[in-house]
Amino acid sequence: MIINTIKEFILRELKKDYTPYLILSLPMLFLIIFLVWPLGSSIGKAFILRGQELSFDNISFANFQRFFTSSMYQRSLRNSFLISFSVVFFTLIIGVPMGYFVARVEMPFKKLILSLGILPIITPAFVGAFSWVILLGKQGIVRHLINVVLGLVGLSLPPIYGLFGIIFTMTLTYLPFVFLLSHGAFQSANPLLEESAMIMGASQNRILRTITMPLVLPSLGAASILVFIRAMGNFGIPAILGGNQYVLPTLIYFRVNGFWDLNGAAAISIISVIIVIIAITIQKKVISAREYETISTASSEHKLNKSPLVKTIAIVYCSLILLVSLAPQITIIVMSFFKQWIGFLPEGFTLENYQIIPQIASKAIRNSLFLAITASLLTALFGTLVAYITERRRPKGGIFIDFAVMTPFVLPGIVVSVALLTTFSSGAIAISGTFLILMISFVIRRTPYVFRSVAASLTQLDVALEESSTITGANWYYTFRKVTFPLILPGIIAGTILTFSTLLQELSTTILLYSARTKTMPIQIYNAVADGNFGIASSLSVLLLVTVFIVVYLMNLFLGETASSSFKLG
Amino acid sequence: MPNIIYKDVIKKFEGKEIVTALKGVSFEIKQGELFCLLGPSGCGKTTLLRISAGLETLTSGKIFYGEKDITSIPPFRRNIGMVFQSFALYPHMNVFENVAYGLRVRKKPENIIKKKVTEIMELVGLPDVLRRNPSPTALSGGQQQRIAIARALVYDPEILLLDEPLASLDAKLRRYMRSEIRRIQKATNITTIYVTHDQEEAMAIGDRLAVMNVGLAEQIGSSDQIYQNPINMFVANFIGKMNFFSGAIKEVKGDNYNIQLGYNQKVLDLSIKLSPDKKKYISKGKNIILGSRPEKLIISSNQEGGLLPGRIQIIQHLGKVVRYEIRPQWDSVSKLIEVDRDEKLPEAKEGDMVYINFDKTDTLLFSEKGKV
Repeated sequence: MIINTIKEFILRELKKDYTPYLILSLPMLFLIIFLVWPLGSSIGKAFILRGQELSFDNISFANFQRFFTSSMYQRSLRNSFLISFSVVFFTLIIGVPMGYFVARVEMPFKKLILSLGILPIITPAFVGAFSWVILLGKQGIVRHLINVVLGLVGLSLPPIYGLFGIIFTMTLTYLPFVFLLSHGAFQSANPLLEESAMIMGASQNRILRTITMPLVLPSLGAASILVFIRAMGNFGIPAILGGNQYVLPTLIYFRVNGFWDLNGAAAISIISVIIVIIAITIQKKVISAREYETISTASSEHKLNKSPLVKTIAIVYCSLILLVSLAPQITIIVMSFFKQWIGFLPEGFTLENYQIIPQIASKAIRNSLFLAITASLLTALFGTLVAYITERRRPKGGIFIDFAVMTPFVLPGIVVSVALLTTFSSGAIAISGTFLILMISFVIRRTPYVFRSVAASLTQLDVALEESSTITGANWYYTFRKVTFPLILPGIIAGTILTFSTLLQELSTTILLYSARTKTMPIQIYNAVADGNFGIASSLSVLLLVTVFIVVYLMNLFLGETASSSFKLG
Repeated sequence: MPNIIYKDVIKKFEGKEIVTALKGVSFEIKQGELFCLLGPSGCGKTTLLRISAGLETLTSGKIFYGEKDITSIPPFRRNIGMVFQSFALYPHMNVFENVAYGLRVRKKPENIIKKKVTEIMELVGLPDVLRRNPSPTALSGGQQQRIAIARALVYDPEILLLDEPLASLDAKLRRYMRSEIRRIQKATNITTIYVTHDQEEAMAIGDRLAVMNVGLAEQIGSSDQIYQNPINMFVANFIGKMNFFSGAIKEVKGDNYNIQLGYNQKVLDLSIKLSPDKKKYISKGKNIILGSRPEKLIISSNQEGGLLPGRIQIIQHLGKVVRYEIRPQWDSVSKLIEVDRDEKLPEAKEGDMVYINFDKTDTLLFSEKGKV
C-alpha cells in the first residue's frame, strides 16, 4: 500500500518536465554569488576600518565620519549634488523644446536630427570631455573666439576645467535622453485630447499648459531620473575636467588608487547609492500621482505647426544644439590627423597617430573586443533567461529577482567595482586583475539592458502561442527553441548590441578593475589624455566611434524601430 | 475518443485574496460529443477548460479521460488539441509549418506530415492556401480560424478544446464559422469542449451544454431541455430572456394551480405538469415566482381578460417578431417586461396602455429562492 503510493509519486514526478528548473536556477546562483554577496560584503566593510577583520567588535563609523570632518569629502558631496541637479535642469531646459519642435513642428531632416541625436549617447563621455578641452581649454579655439566677443563688454569665459566644464559637458552628453524621451512623449500623446480642448475653446498656450505638459510629464520624470543617475555615477568627465574639484566617483577612485582603502571607498559608495535611491523615490512619488491611463484607443495624427515663425525658430534652435552636440565628434576627427592643436588652428598634419596604433594599442584593442564580445554574449544569455523567468514563470520571489537584476542599473559603475574588489581580491575567489572580474562586472552591469529589452518582447508575446505549443505535445525546451526564442530574438539582439556598444566604451567600472594585462581601449585613451597626448587619444577614439557606429548602423538596418527605441531606455 | 469525467473539481487562485473559481464541479462529457461551457464572464468556464487542458492545476478533485486519470499529467503528455481565442498562430512560420507543428513535435516522417497536412486543410476547407503557403498573418480572420482548427486536429488528438474561438470574428462570419466548426467536429467525431459566453452560439452549436455561474455548473442538458425547463431563475434568464412576476399559491388541484398575483391580488389559473420532485416545493400558501418567456406572454389593448397593466415604452421591429418593452404600471421599480409577438398589435403605439396575461399551460414556477 505505502510502497504503491511511493511508486505512484515517483512515477508522477518523473513525468514532469524538469529542464526549466535546472536551466533557470543557474542565473539565480550567479546573481547571489556575484551581486548579492559583493554588495552585502561591501556594505559590511564600510563599517570596518581598513585592514581590520569583519566582526562585530570592529564596527566603526569612522569611514562615514569623514563626511563631517574632511572638507574634501564635503566638497565632493556638494559638487556631486550641484552637478547632478544642474545637469538635470539644463538637459530639461534644452532638450524638451527640441523634443517638442521635432515632434510637433513641420521641419525638414527630422529623421536625420533623430539619428544624429543619439550620437552623443554612443560616444564615450570622456571623449566629449577631452574634445571640449581642445575647444574650450586654456588655449581652446572656441574659447578664444568667444572671448573676443565677450571682451567687448569686459567679460571673459573661464577655461573649461572645473564645475562649469563638467556641467557643460555632461549636459551635452545626456541631452539625448531628454530629447528622445520627450520627443516620444510629445508624439504619442493622443492628439484627440488636444483637439477636444481646442474645440471647447482653449487657446494654444492653455492646451500646452493644461493638456500636453501633464501628459508628457511622466516621460520627463523618467528622463530626469535617468540623467540624474548617470550624472551622479559618471567618472570620465570629472576625472578629465575636474582638476582639484572632486565628485563622489572620483573620490572613490582616489581612495582606492591612492590608499587602497576599499573600506573607505565602500562607505562613499553607500552614500552615493543612498542619494540615488532617494532621488528615485522622490521621482516615483511625484510622477506616479500624475500618471494617466489612456482612456480611449482611438487616435489620429498630430497636426504639425506650420507657422513660418515657429518653423524658423525650431530649425535654428535644433541646428544650433546639434552643432554644439556634434562638435566633439568633429573635433576629435580633425585632431586625430594633427600633431597638436593649441591656439586657433591645428598644427602639423600627420597620419602618425593612426600609424602608431598597431604598435601601442593592439593589446588594448584585442582586450576590448574580446571582453565586449564575450561579456555581451554572456549578458544576452543571462538577461534573456532572467527575463524569461520573471515574465513567464512568475516565481514566488519574482520581485526580488527583478530588483536584483535592475539594481546595477542605478548603481554607479565604480560602486560595482568597489563591491567586486572588496569581495574577490582575496579569499575563496581571488580574481582581481583578471579578465574574469572585468567580465563579471560587465555582465552584472549590463544585464538590465538585455533584461528590459527581452522582457518587453515577452510581454508583447501572447502567452497562448507558447501554451498552444505545449498543448500540441511539445515539452518546455522544444517550445522555447521553436516558438519563444525565434519570436523574442529581435529583443535579444537589440539588447545585446546596446550592451556591446556601451561595453566597448566602458570606463567607470574598468578604471578600478583593470591590470596591465587586461587594459582596454577606453583606459588607454584615458591615459593618453592624462599624459596630454591628444593626438593618439583622438585617433583611438575615432577608431572606437567608427566601430560602435557601424555596429549600431547595422542593427538599425536589420531591426528598424526596435533598435532605436531601445536606446531611449539605455 | 474517450469521454471526460470531472469529479468534484475545485480551483482556488491564491493571490492577495483567495478566489474560488470552481466550487466543486462534477459531470460527464460523452464520447464524440460537442459540449458547450456557457456562462457570464467570471463564471469559471475558461478555468475549467484550462484545467481540462492541463494549463492550470486543480486544487482538488479529479479529471478522467475515459479510464485514465489525467489530473496530474502535464499538458504536453495529454494528446489534446486546443484552439485559442486569439488563434495563437505562429507569426514566424508559414501556414504549412503552423499546421505541421504537432506532427513535427511527434517526429513524424516528412511524407506522412505532408499527407496529413494536406488532408486536414481539405477538411477545414482551405486546400488552396497551401499552394501559396503564406504567413498566417496575411490571412483573413476566418482563414486564420480554420488554420488554428487544422493545427489542433492534424495529429489526431483524443480531445479538442475550443476557447471562445469565434469571439474575435465579426457577426456574420461568426454564424458561418459555427456551423463549419460543427461540421468539422462531426466529421472527426472528436470529443469536444467549446467555451463561449454567447448563449445563442452555445444553443446553436452544442449537442449539450453546461450553464455555469459563480464556479458551479448550474444545469446540464441539451439546449432544448434547458430552454424549456430551466432549473432556476439564473438559467432561465441566461438561456433566452425570461420575465418574472411574484405571486402566491392559493390552491393546488392535481396539475391545476390557482395563483394570486403579488401586485394587485388578481387571480389566475395555471394548468402545468410538474415532476414529483419539483412538486414538493409547491404547496398552498407558498410565495412563488412566475416565469414567462417573451413569446409566451399575451398582451391586448383592452382591459378585459388582461391581468397586469403596463405602458408600451418601445416597439422594436426585429424582422420575424415585434418586440414590446413594457413599463409595468403596478410597481415603480420593476424591470421592463419584454413581450414578443408575431404580428404588430393593431392600434397600439408607444406610450399606450396594454394589459398582460399569461399562457395557462406554458408558464414556469420558481420558488422564492430561485429554484423550481
